[in-house]
Amino acid sequence: MPNTIHIKAFGMVAERIGATDLELAHCLDSEALLETLRAKFPELTTTKFSLAINKKLISGNQEIPENAEIALLPPFSGG
Amino acid sequence: MEKERNPKNIFVQGAISPEAVAKSIANHASKTDIGGHSIFLGQVRADEKPEGKVIAIDYTAYEEMALEKAFEIREAIFAKYPLTCMHIYHSLGAVKVGELCLVVFTSSKHRKAAMDACDELVERIKAELPVWGKEILDSDNHVWKVNV
Repeated sequence: MPNTIHIKAFGMVAERIGATDLELAHCLDSEALLETLRAKFPELTTTKFSLAINKKLISGNQEIPENAEIALLPPFSGG
Repeated sequence: MEKERNPKNIFVQGAISPEAVAKSIANHASKTDIGGHSIFLGQVRADEKPEGKVIAIDYTAYEEMALEKAFEIREAIFAKYPLTCMHIYHSLGAVKVGELCLVVFTSSKHRKAAMDACDELVERIKAELPVWGKEILDSDNHVWKVNV
């Protein structure tokens, strides 16, 4: 599917939104995506998580390439 | 001879057996330039939470990203310390209290490099790998593990 964002959710985020995989219409940048996500899943407004675009953690607002793989990552707790 | 290093799988399904650790130690007997090993073993602790007592941790990971990150960390540590070898194993899925969930194993000619590298690796693994622990409680509840 063109112009789609593939989203993977993990840990507490996946639990709160009740899904581990989502597809959304393309958003221009990460701010726009976060806004869309929070509107769709209000529980995310009170959940701490970071975004990764194509497996790289981002900080600040970043452009989203077409067909990007986005991941919603709650604070890491391995080990 | 320059060694070629590629991303390795660090994940193990379920607990890491003490026998596997012993075997890993034995595998180094032929590497006679090693003078010291440092081994960190992470064990699942029966924490008391307000919601109940921890009986196991169920680990999940963003595996592809975690392996890329582990490789990056591995390369950085190899560049920083004169190590002979380095092994990292992390559990996925359920690990019961008392069982091992993380092994970090470094070897070098002299102890200091192995010990410092092992310490730094453990810290970086806990802080930077996209892995999550769900603490399963005896009350049929669960809480999400928080790294301190």
